[in-house]
Amino acid sequence: MPSLSVLLDSFFYRPDEDVGPIQELVAGTDETVEPVPEEIPEEYLAFRLEGEHYAVPIHGVREIVKVPPLTEVPRAAANLLGVMYLRGEVLPVYDIKVKLRLADKAPLVAGPDAAEPPRGARIIVVQTADGLAGIWVDSVSEVVRLRPSMLELAPPGVGGGERDCVVGLGRRKQQLFILLDIWQALT
Amino acid sequence: MGGRFQPMKFKILIVEDSKASRELIAATVESISGLEAIATSSGFEALKLLPRHRFDLIITDINMPDINGLELINFVKKNPNYRDTPLFIVTTEGREKDRDRGLALGAAEYLVKPFSPQSLVGLVRRYLKLA
Amino acid sequence: MNQAGKALAEFVAEGTEILEALGKDLLVLDQQRGSDPDPDLINGIFRAAHSLKGLSALFGQERISKLAHQAEDLLDRLRLGKLSLDDQVLDSLIEALDVLQALLAEASREVSSDALSGRVTELGSRLANLGVTSAAVDEDPLDRLELDAQVRAVFTEYEEHRLRENVRRGVALYRVRAAFDLSDFDTGLAELNSRLKPLGEVVSTLPSSEPGGASGIAFDLIFGAKVPEAELAAKLQGTPAQLFSLKVRPVGSAQAPAAPAPVAQSVAQGIRPSAPAADAPTPPKKPRKKRAPKGSGAETPAPAVTESLVQAPLLRAVEEASPEDLTQGVLEAMRMGESSSPPRPELAGPPVRTLTDEPASPRGPRMENESARSLTQTVRVDISRLDALMNTVGELLLIKANLQRMVETARQQEGSVMLSSKLWGQELSRETRQLERKLDALQQGLLEARMVPVGQVFDRLARLVRRIARDAGKEIDFVIGGGDVELDKLIVEELSDPLMHIIRNAIDHGAESPEARMAAGKPRRARVSLRAEQKGNHVVIEVSDDGGGIDELAVRDMALRKNLITEVQAREMSRRELLNLIFLPGFSTARSVSELSGRGVGLDVVKNNIGNLSGIIDVWSERGQGTAFHLTLPVTLAIIRALVVGVSGRTYAVPLNSVLEILSVKPSEIRTVERREVLDVRGTTLPLMRLARQFGHPERQNDRHFVVVAGLAQERLGIAVDELQGQQDIVVKSLGGRLQGVRGISGAADLANRRTVLVLDVGALLEEGMSLERRRA
Repeated sequence: MPSLSVLLDSFFYRPDEDVGPIQELVAGTDETVEPVPEEIPEEYLAFRLEGEHYAVPIHGVREIVKVPPLTEVPRAAANLLGVMYLRGEVLPVYDIKVKLRLADKAPLVAGPDAAEPPRGARIIVVQTADGLAGIWVDSVSEVVRLRPSMLELAPPGVGGGERDCVVGLGRRKQQLFILLDIWQALT
Repeated sequence: MGGRFQPMKFKILIVEDSKASRELIAATVESISGLEAIATSSGFEALKLLPRHRFDLIITDINMPDINGLELINFVKKNPNYRDTPLFIVTTEGREKDRDRGLALGAAEYLVKPFSPQSLVGLVRRYLKLA
Repeated sequence: MNQAGKALAEFVAEGTEILEALGKDLLVLDQQRGSDPDPDLINGIFRAAHSLKGLSALFGQERISKLAHQAEDLLDRLRLGKLSLDDQVLDSLIEALDVLQALLAEASREVSSDALSGRVTELGSRLANLGVTSAAVDEDPLDRLELDAQVRAVFTEYEEHRLRENVRRGVALYRVRAAFDLSDFDTGLAELNSRLKPLGEVVSTLPSSEPGGASGIAFDLIFGAKVPEAELAAKLQGTPAQLFSLKVRPVGSAQAPAAPAPVAQSVAQGIRPSAPAADAPTPPKKPRKKRAPKGSGAETPAPAVTESLVQAPLLRAVEEASPEDLTQGVLEAMRMGESSSPPRPELAGPPVRTLTDEPASPRGPRMENESARSLTQTVRVDISRLDALMNTVGELLLIKANLQRMVETARQQEGSVMLSSKLWGQELSRETRQLERKLDALQQGLLEARMVPVGQVFDRLARLVRRIARDAGKEIDFVIGGGDVELDKLIVEELSDPLMHIIRNAIDHGAESPEARMAAGKPRRARVSLRAEQKGNHVVIEVSDDGGGIDELAVRDMALRKNLITEVQAREMSRRELLNLIFLPGFSTARSVSELSGRGVGLDVVKNNIGNLSGIIDVWSERGQGTAFHLTLPVTLAIIRALVVGVSGRTYAVPLNSVLEILSVKPSEIRTVERREVLDVRGTTLPLMRLARQFGHPERQNDRHFVVVAGLAQERLGIAVDELQGQQDIVVKSLGGRLQGVRGISGAADLANRRTVLVLDVGALLEEGMSLERRRA
């Protein structure tokens, strides 16, 4: 018998409360940056896929939620992991590891044979032309501020040959982020 | 908010039974800062609104289902409480006779649909003595 | 949506609304062909054209603005009496409506076809050249009316014309003065208008410019009466209205400066309070209900004070007016009042009459060039329904507050001994029950808000029927019934195309020519009827005709010729089954397909459309007597009762309205016919689909299967699943743009415990099953 607090927690479950507001993440992440008047830093959400560090512009991200039970969709495209409910709307959740050549096939994360999702795994919810869509990431690390001078073009070969998904690299001190065009990765 | 000074807004009454026209006129008027549009689709409603606000300007259509715009103009211009409020007629091409009657009753200006938002803005600014 | 798109949508929505009203009024005008048109009706149509002109000009829709302008000009001449309404004018107006609808449809798609532009130009010049302006009148009758020039100054040109008409016809005119409270004068005026309207024409409503005090306002209604004064006075008893006769000088008399009728001045000074001190009833304070309140004040004897106030000036007015004028006026007015349209010669009559079994729905028809679908996605909701929803939301917030308080208490007590978990449980379950009840109410309220009367689509269809019948050279009485039956907005919209198709068929193939009907001893005019009736959770819509009926033997021969059935099958088929062959894809009574009906689309598409709405279509026909189609539809789509099933550890929901029965089947009972698995159910063969196999899930070995027998329209299919988990009401959500292409799934639903289940698209699965069957055959 689960405790009352667990029951109540699940009753009040709101997926959007799982990750603190983005502002909290921002605080203190960027202590080294001296604001240069000409350079307006842009905020990126950094996350990990198979150990690699990726980042996407934060303004494209609607929210970040803990992985709920996903329902598999029979006879759907291979990169569709399943569907989930988010505040009354049905939303498809996609794998982009195959597209980025980080994996051979999409992981089985929906249906009766799926394993529990890893603790750190999250769904990043983005707005697309056809409505909201979720993207599975292994973990969300931080929000980074990158100034234009910190961005560079991706050298050939980065992004597993899928050059069109990778728009460049972001370098903050020794840390390197692969900047993704997340909409391109969903195609 | 917190006690910030809220300047007094000019209130504009818009009487127009076509929803799209009404909203367009209201949006045009409100594009001028410091102006608040109160819009209604009927002359009856306008009669009710008049004593509740102090309007700085009235913009009315002529062709309406309950009372016509001329009657509204007459009502406004005969009433000592409202008669100094400038009043614009919105009309369409071909209704010159009704338009002329409106002007005779005391309307200040008329606009013939379709009119450009700029022309309305210009007139409003002129009558409210805005820069 | 971007700004421009939003503006366009708004324009289309309002344009649709205007054309809707226009169509409705034209329909009434069409029905009144031959009799004197109601001036209010003509004015309403004029106003609609006028509004459309202004609206489209504002949004830069030049073609619409131009045509609306030309129509407005024509209507202006009509309402100002410069043109008389004949068949040519009416037909042109109806055509203008058609073209405007088409223009609006193009505008909504942001296209502009040359063909339509050509039509606009052609029709526009035709409208301009209609009718001849009548010669100017030598004397303005209005000059004979003693009316304050100041009052005349506020009349619009149209109001002036109506007043002139009334004077010319010798109608007795009155100024009806009434004072009301400022807060509710509109309800008071509406009440007064509803009393006056049946007795004559309210030419104008003038707010009195005299200051009415802080909370009062007076109005003068200029009224042309078609009843004797006594009757008018009696009808006004109990209202705050006072009557003053407006004097009309005899023709040719000298023109004296106009002055308000002096007869009543003794009582007309100032503004009376909204009710006399005597105990006459005050005007109703509440908003007026749809129906006029029963039992007007006229039925009770009025107190003496009121009587003398109202009637004394009247009697004097009668004496002062020229008796001849008055009598003549009343007589003429009374003749006008009777609807004495000349009997219509059968041959010259319009091809279609629309008869309504009951008062027409207040919502107007909408139509597009080729479809009766509406262009907008909006539902008009009675404000009281929204208020009820708001209240429910308020109650839900209370429950949320209660639950939050409980959580707080629980947090504070964590670590310490829980006070009484029993008490807690009780409180929690009480709140949960409340929550359930309120959610039910919310759900119910939202479903009701989505409901619209089917009459919306019926009215639109009536407009189209007129044209179809004319083009087909048939004489049709189109009968509508049950227009007030309500269905979900989405279903109503989706119904219009299938219904149109069936009605086209009825006119085109069902109804015989007038000559053939006479020869068969039938009435000359064929009857096509469209009726809706609510039966429990379903609505049955019937489209029937009294035409030639369907020859099932011809249907059988056709199906055989097209290899849709085999000789063996044909021999075993009942009459009903033969009739239902017309729904097969590829079946079309091609011999008689005219330009009007088919456009290459058969009844199979109709059946599919109905199937998509979880509906069932059935046909009955009797040779020589007629044909009837029955469409059985669920009242609402949004919430459905579903059967929850398990397959290979997955859960799916099957809409219960497509489940005919559930069988428990041993593996040995499954037979194979031509490598296709089937079941023998009470002597008939039922195709079987193993859902796990179809969906590519790992199959389980079961010692028995559950077979959900699904049926949509005429098809049957057994769907084999592992387990039945029960029934549940579910809210079906569409899978949205990115997932629309997934076969066999129509949407998703959230079961309790954050468990998302997919809802099977039974129609699509049936389709898959059938195509498999055909491929193997």
